[in-house]
Amino acid sequence: MNAEQIVEAVLFASDAPLRPDEIARADESLDEDRVEVALEWLRRHYLESDRAFDLVEIAEGYQLQTRPEYAPYLERFDTVPKPSRLSGPALETLAIIAYRQPLGRLEVEYIRGVGSSGVIRTLVDRGLIEVVGRGEGLGRPLLYGTTLRFLEHFGFRSMEDLPRPEELPIVLRDRNSPILPEDEEDGNGNAPDQEELELEDADGEG
Amino acid sequence: MARSGTVEGERGGGFLVEIDRFRGPLDLLLHLIRQQDIDIFDIPIRRITDQFLGAVEGIRAADLDSAGEFLEMAATLIRIKAQMLLPRPESDDDEDPRAELVRRLLEYEQVREITQRMERAEAERSRRFTRGFVEPRPRPAVDDVPLETTWDEVFGAALDVTLPVVVDDTHRVTPRTVSMDDKAALILDRLETEHGLEFRTLLAPFAHGDPEFRMHGVMTLLAGLELTRRRRIHLRQSAPFHELWIYRWEGPEPDDGMAEGALPDTLGPDHGLPADATADDLEPSDPIPAKPAWDDSEPDKTIPDPPIRSRNDPPGEP
Repeated sequence: MNAEQIVEAVLFASDAPLRPDEIARADESLDEDRVEVALEWLRRHYLESDRAFDLVEIAEGYQLQTRPEYAPYLERFDTVPKPSRLSGPALETLAIIAYRQPLGRLEVEYIRGVGSSGVIRTLVDRGLIEVVGRGEGLGRPLLYGTTLRFLEHFGFRSMEDLPRPEELPIVLRDRNSPILPEDEEDGNGNAPDQEELELEDADGEG
Repeated sequence: MARSGTVEGERGGGFLVEIDRFRGPLDLLLHLIRQQDIDIFDIPIRRITDQFLGAVEGIRAADLDSAGEFLEMAATLIRIKAQMLLPRPESDDDEDPRAELVRRLLEYEQVREITQRMERAEAERSRRFTRGFVEPRPRPAVDDVPLETTWDEVFGAALDVTLPVVVDDTHRVTPRTVSMDDKAALILDRLETEHGLEFRTLLAPFAHGDPEFRMHGVMTLLAGLELTRRRRIHLRQSAPFHELWIYRWEGPEPDDGMAEGALPDTLGPDHGLPADATADDLEPSDPIPAKPAWDDSEPDKTIPDPPIRSRNDPPGEP
């Protein structure tokens, strides 16, 4: 048995991406460097022998995945786990959290302009985001950040794979500036609404 | 259920906006601005506010959840519009009232862009399959229905329930393990050598614990009764529950036309006592049923056992 075969066996049996240091735990003869070499050899071996799967770098680890052109065949089976797709609001919320993490629900809602508690709960349930701390402010709001599962879902190797802000046609707000305007940052969110509604009434009468 | 509101531009160029198409007020606002090629850093706030209100008008009160978000934005726009009308103080650091809205719009536009890219990445990723278990498909959740009933109703319903009457009317056919023929033969056999014998002695070979003990007793008694009816033996008992004695028949020959007349005196030749307390079947009032078929064909020793009648059976026609 050589290192390549051990690494292959571990990858074959795992249902989640594995980091080289995790794979190295399989045998005393392995260390991270040796695993890296074996991984590279396997990657090229699968490519050259034209396998239906290849070795993919994903979520800070490695994983065997079928190649995209075989999707139509696999989709016919109930016994094959189907990668599920997220809804528009969920994607939007996830994008905001991915770029601005850690941040709380109120900030997400301010950026999106719509209530987001349900979407956030769904994302937490699906393991795509998690509570990473508590904010300062009133009630010490929960702060959310993305998980490894998030990288896995989108096929990203790491956060570096996310589209870079400078590539985008529009420039994001400076990361260090507060998202919420001053008057809403410490309120409970309803007070400003009240004020605005009164203004609206005044306008209507005039 | 696509809602729509007519958005009237300042110059009267009306167009239709479907609120449902938008993820929120920022999405709608961006749409209005981008569609009309408006410089986002110099938004004509009055025009945009009117258009926005026009679009929002279509939202019904039933959709209050999403309506609230649109109305909140409407209020923000109106506030900005009002602030724009006020004479502005001369200080430099006082921001344009539109500035925060512009920042939000730009940021939201960027989020929208990133979302689209992530959606493409997700689609690409979903064409690759990995090894791994299939999560059990979620079962449909059963709603918790509160118990809207009182105990009185529960008890009432319970009392109303009619349980089906279970009648076991299966007729089980089981082999008769002890035959009356054997018992009749045994009795006659014993009487060949003995003048009289106690009923009890016929059962002596069988232990009381034997599950078939009762059957032996019943069959022996039936055989005795049958032989009596055919005038082959006498049964005698001095008093109820006393020992039953069996004697050889001493009287007219059994074969001559006896069928109809099993008279009491033939049973008890020595005294007027009824032959025995158990032989109800032989009371004079009891009509002897029609001569069974076997009586003619096999008049003698062998007594087939099937047609044993109880007095409750309907008597056959003579």
